[in-house]
Amino acid sequence: MSLLAQIISTEAPSLPALALSTLWLHLGWAVVLAWLVAGVGRWTGVQRTVQWGLAAAIALWTCVPGPYAPGYWLGLAFQALSISLVVLCAWSFYRRYAPMPALPRKNPPDLPDRPASGVLVLAGIFLGWVLLLDAFAVFPVALYAWGFSPAVPVAILLALLLPWALRKGNGAAASGVPLVVFVMLAFVALRLPSGNAWDALLDPWLWLALHVIGLRRWILVRP
Amino acid sequence: MLWALLVVGVALALDLVQRPAVPEPAQALTTGDPAIDVSRLQRVAQGDIPMPEGARAAHASSLLVMPPTQAAALTVFWFSGERESGPLVQIAASQLDRSTHTWSAPRVVANRHVLGVQLGYGVRRLGNPVAWLDAQGRMHLFVVATGWGGWAASRVLHLQQSSPQHTLESLAFEPVGVLPLSWLWNTSHLVRNAPLPLADGGMVLPVHFELGLKYPVVLRMDAQGHFMGMQRVSARTHLLQPTLLAQSPQQWLALMRDERPHGKVGAAVTSDGGRHWNDLPDLALDNPDASVGGMAMASGQLLLVHNSSLGSRARLDLSHSRDGQHWSLLATLANGAPLDEFSYPALAWADGSLWISYTVDRERLAWQQFAPPGDAAQKKMQGKTP
Repeated sequence: MSLLAQIISTEAPSLPALALSTLWLHLGWAVVLAWLVAGVGRWTGVQRTVQWGLAAAIALWTCVPGPYAPGYWLGLAFQALSISLVVLCAWSFYRRYAPMPALPRKNPPDLPDRPASGVLVLAGIFLGWVLLLDAFAVFPVALYAWGFSPAVPVAILLALLLPWALRKGNGAAASGVPLVVFVMLAFVALRLPSGNAWDALLDPWLWLALHVIGLRRWILVRP
Repeated sequence: MLWALLVVGVALALDLVQRPAVPEPAQALTTGDPAIDVSRLQRVAQGDIPMPEGARAAHASSLLVMPPTQAAALTVFWFSGERESGPLVQIAASQLDRSTHTWSAPRVVANRHVLGVQLGYGVRRLGNPVAWLDAQGRMHLFVVATGWGGWAASRVLHLQQSSPQHTLESLAFEPVGVLPLSWLWNTSHLVRNAPLPLADGGMVLPVHFELGLKYPVVLRMDAQGHFMGMQRVSARTHLLQPTLLAQSPQQWLALMRDERPHGKVGAAVTSDGGRHWNDLPDLALDNPDASVGGMAMASGQLLLVHNSSLGSRARLDLSHSRDGQHWSLLATLANGAPLDEFSYPALAWADGSLWISYTVDRERLAWQQFAPPGDAAQKKMQGKTP
């Protein structure tokens, strides 16, 4: 079988082991819930240490196995989260609570200061709509199944890295390219959350959040 | 530029090294003796499958042919509990003794609370089970397991045998995982009909999507039960619960339940081992939005168990065909009053006989045995009919 046939084949998926996917499910929800709780704490004006404490408590509670913890029920309803959403929340949480000298806001590190740029927000919204419609068999081909092919992560990496390389990295951090590259590399290495590249890149919660972000930006920038 | 290509190349290599080899095109197996003429099959025995004590509901049986070395010829799995979609529903099993042709007392082999602990997250309800024996003789169960919601929130949970023995007393299963079949929180796929066995020891598992609209899908598994991809079967969105019948190693029919009022049995065909499917005109057989069950014999003949009473599931027929398009009635398995229900058939060929199980009024399971004429006389003389 030729290399090209292997790359485009959807018939040889590699799925994560149950133990790893279960660990990811709990870890992912723990990070996102911690970020949410901390955000609510900041919004309500509670002390920074209390925000941090609440976030840590919810994260630990989510990782507790069994039906008395949120991870059990969130997994029942929504399964595991995408790598993208978990990394975004972890990054946002880190920026919020890390010691400021380590992360000067004027010099963004590898991951973006504003992680979701306009282009990526629009791309994520568009991709989510396509995957949603695909779930209802609107298209003549099954796009979700393509996510089991090596071609999807390779195509995404090429589409992001080549323009970046041609521009010698200018503007890459702000455009969120490193985030998506990291997500795809993590997927390739770990197969999380499901062995399907689309699930690693975007989940329905992130897709809904992108709608809110996109709408907010549109309201802010319109004349 | 160079480093970007290097990153992509490393990612591709890392990806490919973790994947199994791309499988050869699927080649289906058929069952039974090629000399058997199914049009001459005769009913030799029938009865009920024993239910778990206190269970008021039973539905969706799946028959598994056991290896010839086993004392049991068949294992039947179904969901059993206080009512369909009830919180107490569990997966029950019973075995048919090869020598006495009697069904054992049933035993629960899967419970949603235990599965929830093993999976690390909850399972709200259990539904249809489908059983399969892999190339190593290990049992697999594919079970409908719902998330938050009804059947439309279902996922397909893959379990595999964890006990060393096949005997019902020791039979135990552990989860492999939930099959990833949809981007939308991995809803809403369900399993119902038996897998199509493949020459490589793997199989093709028919499933369907049913959130609002319905469409059929097939999943390929390798000889160890590893997921090897999915294909949509039909472009139509009112067909569900496909049953797969091999007309040749690579030409298969999918016959399907039609959810529309006054529907007919839907059909689709593949000529390349399931990689591409084309819709066929509906069969002439009526379908009252009810599951059909089929089987392809080594003789090239096809069998189909289907409800033929429009608007109800009160009549269950066994039909046969040579081309998959034109079907002839072989026997009426059950025929009751309009509100009676005989539904969700499962078929298996074991010990020279055709075995059929089906649901009666969603309360219990019944079975029937058919055999070729010579064997039928002998089997009837053995007086096995309860």
